[in-house]
Amino acid sequence: MNNKFDALKDDDSGDHDQNEDSGSPKECEKEESDEEDKEQNTAKKKTVVPGAGEHPLQYNYTFWYSRRTPGRPASSQSYEQNIKQIGSFASVEQFWRFYSHMIRPGDLTGHSDFHLFKEGIKPMWEDDANKSGGKWIIRLRKGLASRCWENLILAMLGEQFMVGEEICGAVVSVRFQEDIISIWNKTASDQATTSRIRDTLRRVLNLPPNTIMEYKTHTDSIKAWEDFHGLVNASGGR
Amino acid sequence: MSAGCQKTTSRAIPGTRRVIINDAAHMPHEYSTTPGGTLFSTTPGGTRIIYDRKFLLDCRSSPVARTPPRCLPDIPGVTSPPSAHANNDTSLQGHTLETLNNNCNLPTEKSAGEDAQFEMDI
Repeated sequence: MNNKFDALKDDDSGDHDQNEDSGSPKECEKEESDEEDKEQNTAKKKTVVPGAGEHPLQYNYTFWYSRRTPGRPASSQSYEQNIKQIGSFASVEQFWRFYSHMIRPGDLTGHSDFHLFKEGIKPMWEDDANKSGGKWIIRLRKGLASRCWENLILAMLGEQFMVGEEICGAVVSVRFQEDIISIWNKTASDQATTSRIRDTLRRVLNLPPNTIMEYKTHTDSIKAWEDFHGLVNASGGR
Repeated sequence: MSAGCQKTTSRAIPGTRRVIINDAAHMPHEYSTTPGGTLFSTTPGGTRIIYDRKFLLDCRSSPVARTPPRCLPDIPGVTSPPSAHANNDTSLQGHTLETLNNNCNLPTEKSAGEDAQFEMDI
């Protein structure tokens, strides 16, 4: 599997740090890891399948988890712990199996994220599916993340956004003073799509009208990340 | 006229109506409607598998949705794979579920999921 996670999105809280990592695939899902080597974009070939009598989803999805290790890392442990693939599912029931065995984001500690992306799309800007894309960001005061995250991912899994193939995935970021949820789509320049996503977000999250929603292209995120690291290197290097 | 019960005449079920979409402007403004105005489980651009929140939440209580996933990695404080606790106690699996607040067995959980959308200040 591709180990290049150096620009895993992490700009949400405004700080940018080491993100190199691998999401080492689980051996038990071997077909899946093979798949991921071959295909970056929305995998048409399904690797997990709905069980008998289960309710299939429009797409397969993969849960990821990442956490920033405090301090200056570079140890193999932080490398290993930065992002982990939790697992993939193809049906509503399989989704609940994972979800019910995962902590709610509001109960996470530290600087951590849950990512739920279509299978075959990595939660990173450089993925083919993401590179021309962007995301809607909503900042939440503490205490709302679990509920909002659940509503967000249920809307995504249930295809409530009505934007065809545009949705890539969703992220919840637990930060020090606030939490952030975001939803990523493929084409940042497609305004009809981005406004439809915004309106659906308002509806499914039941956001008050004055909620600030910010759209950020991944190109801008990458630029900001590079600028930041350029500064770090320039000052730190000499 | 004073006969209390008027008989209603029966009508045939309306036939299928096709609505061709050539332009984004033909799309309905409301996301809960489809072109032609009726709620279908198919949408322009092909059939899509659509579930609303309530349906998804209802699926949570089905027995298959409660079996632990295969190969769930053990991330302390994040996931709770049953294998990680297998050496302790066979009854622990129930405890494991309870420690995670996503437990689907609790009726309170269900009603919490069903209630009206919350108000929030951001």
